[in-house]
Amino acid sequence: MTVFKTFLKVLNKCKVPIIIYTVMLVFFSAFNMQTSEKNISFADSKPNILIVNKEANKDKITKNFINYLSKNSNEVNVSMNEEKIDDALFYRDVSYVIYVPKNFGKDVLHGKNPEIKIKSTKDYGASLANMMVERYLKVANVYSDVTDNEDELVTLIDDTLSKKVKVNLTTKLDTKLIEKAAFYHNFLNYCILAGTIYVICLVLSSFKEENIKKRTIVSSMSHKNYNRILLLSNALFAFILWIFYCILAFILMDKIMFSTHGLIFIINSFIFTICALTLAFLIANLVSNKNAVNGIVNVVALGSSFLCGAFVPTSMLPDFVLKIAHILPSYWFIKTNEMLKEMEVFTFDTLKPILTNMFIVICFSIIFIIITNVFSSKKRHNK
Amino acid sequence: MKNVIEVKGLTKKYKELKAADNLSFEVKEGEILGLLGPNGSGKSTTINCLLSLLNFNNGSIKIFNEEMHPNAYDIKRKIGVVFQDVAVFEELNVYDNIDYFCGLYINDKRKRKKCIEEAVKLVGLEDFKKFYPKQLSGGLLRRLNIACGIAHKPKLIILDEPTVAVDPQSRNNILDGIKKLRDDGATIIYTTHYMEEVEILCDRIIILDKGKVIASGTSSELKNLASSKEKIVVEIMNLDKKHLKEINTLKNVKQVIYKDGNLTITYDKGKNNIVDLMSYFKKEEITYNNIFVMRPTLNDVFLELTGKELRD
Amino acid sequence: MFIHNFKYAFKTLFSNKMLIFWTFAFPIILGTFFSMAFSNIENSEKMKPVDIAIVNNHDFEFGLYKEPFKMLSDKNSDEKIFNIKYVDNEAKAKKLLEKNDVSGYLLLKDNTPKIVVNKNGFDETIFKYAVEEIGSYIKMTKTIGDKKISERLNETGRVNTIYQYVYLGVTKRIADYKANIKDVSRSNLSYTMIEFYTLIAMACLYGGILGMVSINNVLPNMSSNGKRVSVSPTSKLKLILSSTFASYAVQLIGLLLLFLYTIFVLKVDYGNNLPLIILLSLAGSLAGLSLGVFVSCVFKTSENNKTGFIIAFTMLGCFLSGMMGITMKYIIDKNVPIINKINPVSMITDGFYSLYYYDTTDRFFFNLVSLLIFSGLLISISIISLRRQKYDSI
Repeated sequence: MTVFKTFLKVLNKCKVPIIIYTVMLVFFSAFNMQTSEKNISFADSKPNILIVNKEANKDKITKNFINYLSKNSNEVNVSMNEEKIDDALFYRDVSYVIYVPKNFGKDVLHGKNPEIKIKSTKDYGASLANMMVERYLKVANVYSDVTDNEDELVTLIDDTLSKKVKVNLTTKLDTKLIEKAAFYHNFLNYCILAGTIYVICLVLSSFKEENIKKRTIVSSMSHKNYNRILLLSNALFAFILWIFYCILAFILMDKIMFSTHGLIFIINSFIFTICALTLAFLIANLVSNKNAVNGIVNVVALGSSFLCGAFVPTSMLPDFVLKIAHILPSYWFIKTNEMLKEMEVFTFDTLKPILTNMFIVICFSIIFIIITNVFSSKKRHNK
Repeated sequence: MKNVIEVKGLTKKYKELKAADNLSFEVKEGEILGLLGPNGSGKSTTINCLLSLLNFNNGSIKIFNEEMHPNAYDIKRKIGVVFQDVAVFEELNVYDNIDYFCGLYINDKRKRKKCIEEAVKLVGLEDFKKFYPKQLSGGLLRRLNIACGIAHKPKLIILDEPTVAVDPQSRNNILDGIKKLRDDGATIIYTTHYMEEVEILCDRIIILDKGKVIASGTSSELKNLASSKEKIVVEIMNLDKKHLKEINTLKNVKQVIYKDGNLTITYDKGKNNIVDLMSYFKKEEITYNNIFVMRPTLNDVFLELTGKELRD
Repeated sequence: MFIHNFKYAFKTLFSNKMLIFWTFAFPIILGTFFSMAFSNIENSEKMKPVDIAIVNNHDFEFGLYKEPFKMLSDKNSDEKIFNIKYVDNEAKAKKLLEKNDVSGYLLLKDNTPKIVVNKNGFDETIFKYAVEEIGSYIKMTKTIGDKKISERLNETGRVNTIYQYVYLGVTKRIADYKANIKDVSRSNLSYTMIEFYTLIAMACLYGGILGMVSINNVLPNMSSNGKRVSVSPTSKLKLILSSTFASYAVQLIGLLLLFLYTIFVLKVDYGNNLPLIILLSLAGSLAGLSLGVFVSCVFKTSENNKTGFIIAFTMLGCFLSGMMGITMKYIIDKNVPIINKINPVSMITDGFYSLYYYDTTDRFFFNLVSLLIFSGLLISISIISLRRQKYDSI
């Protein structure tokens, strides 16, 4: 009991980083959850655009053009200042900027092909916006061959562009919510790793300090028993940390967590917590310097989080990084979360890859335990 | 003999607490002055005021006949200080540490090198020059702490409890070193709450309590202040009441206690009362096993002056 | 004396392994992670050909959609948008969709297109757009063709032209039309560079820890070493100056290493104006140094707490200038610009950004001057608190 109490006291000193990790988790999860609407029918992805010189042109064709653009995209509110526009473009607030030229309507009507200046980030949104602009210009220009009447041209254009295609959406999954849950659990990779390694290394290094170690060795408590309590305390801590993050998940994403998806997310994070625990033991065994703990926590936790896709989605990581990531347990943990995003039916067949991932994470834990044992017995022999 | 330090009416308050209360004393050239007092009696505060590190409310401090102030570099050059806390760089080895601090006083590299070697030798760290503070034991670390403070051969050395938590071997080494420094002509102020050290080392002692000087003088002068001058303890198996009564009437005897075969006689005067006692035993043919003579200690003096022990 | 203290302050800082790890190695490690994680983001945001399936039934085979799709999936065209898998029937297309092999499939029934997709997204929207676009061109061909034929009918009263030629003419006109779009965007648009700029800013401010530690060592009210130093016959100003310079030198060495690493290994682009880059780095490090000096002189607390404060301040600054999410900097800049105008991390980041992105230097110099004001302010406060020579308590 005394050992456990002391453990709690030392733990109390480590609360600040744990709080910081948790605040970050909540903040980024919430940040990522802002636009949570359930989509049952297909909705276009609208590019973020900015239309400049809207006010200067009052003729019908220009108005129609602007109208068409704003209907099919999100117009972003940016003050009309070249520097602000450039900033907005750089930070991807806007993907596409269109400068509507003077006399646009007249030029189009008279069959001239007016030059349109644009600024583009060349991403998906920009390509989409570009398709839109090109289509409009093409339609307007070609129609201007056959009419000189402003009103007729506008009617023709509208008539053509209003043609819509029917789109069927197959999924019944609330993909957005599941994506959010997956994001949360991916980020959890960082919190669990950093939290367990930091606390356990710090606690164990306090207990392992030369003088304290001597004192415990000479105490009446058997060494085995002492070690067992220490191990149990650490496991208990990791377990509590895991429960805490589970509860947080239920609070932040209630509905989805009560489904099969949620269950698998939780099982997955539990297995990963065990793995983090064994890794923490290994590191605590290798490093006894308290000052070094901080550096190692950052390198290990940030490293596995960046390389395995906890912060940046795996789909955006370069291939060679993902290849390297295979040797880290985080990769398999995150892979399961990513697979869950697209899983609709749960049968043994569909679950097989997920079970494989979990098995690999468990293998990692076993390897960590073996290395820890080999290392610590070697240490003992050397003494 | 010249006065190296003159302190007049020094008063330093921390809010309500008077750490130094109208202190006046002087230090003479070539002496080792002991500042003795229990924890919190104002020793360190006095030293810090002397060195112009602390503001004080009242009083004046003269060192080498000049008013001390933070920019009095000529005075500072002649002072060496060894603080209570070990003040060395973890990142530098023994030699570099001494070199750094010594370099703040002596610019000439060759001269400095000689000084460092001498300091290393004085504290007995010759074999540890390339060691880092972390690798040194507590006693060796204290020795390094001293070497850093005195390497530039100061005329006035202030040592603030340099032997706290030091093993006997290192302590003897340190004390020998201090004596040697004095023999080389330095004036030394030595604060401690170990009275044994003061008795061995110091030419003159000032006893502080609650920021005030409560007594000063040489060790024997101070001991004279004690009301009992000598104590003799004798182990005697059988002593009857008649003898006990007669002993009580011997010259200078103040008090006689006989308990569990131990006879304790307290004298209020004299130094060689044992002669009388022995001759009395011989005359009465009393046999005894052991006999001890005890002189009063500074602790006894302090106890009598303040009603409390030096070390609590 | 100046050089003596400088030498040892320098040596002390360099021998402090933890310090060197956090100020030298950590930014380099973090930069490596950034580069590994972010190097592909911008590419992945560029449009890649979308995998789709088309049911190759009678309607498609002989309809008007075949040719345009052929063009849109042509390997040699730079307008290639789709990778198309042609399948015989809808069941097969469905299977492909279920396996996520394609983003969606197209089925033509009675010449009316139907699209089936799995989810909402850009790929799906582009698919839809393309089908709609083809639809509108078909419609346009018909409208104009009909109009021309009827016009001719009205003019001449008879139809002797072959309809096909009229429609072909319109189709050709549509295909040949090239929109006159001119891209005037700036060339350096790689926004992940901001991550590396915040990294440099972080390294600059972390450098303050060096300054803090080395000044702590000469202040009597901060450390026991400082007590020892201040009873020596050396002027305090001289000592502080030389310690400050020593830590600035160490800081600059670290920054130089970081620059070399990010430029030659991570291929970070800082723009082309080398003198201004150096100027900004010097000013940024100065801001870090002044933060360190300020914290060291003004706060009376343990060295650990001081380090903690500098780290917390820096990380908050980094967060606000986009290290943990580049958008954050923009959100702050757009909505509460004042915060980033007083945030030194943002000044450094924005300075590099303006060198990288803009041709003009107004914004750069604004940031540079802000940094100098920030440093000047902190240093002045420090000097005021340092003027005290004696202390009330130690």
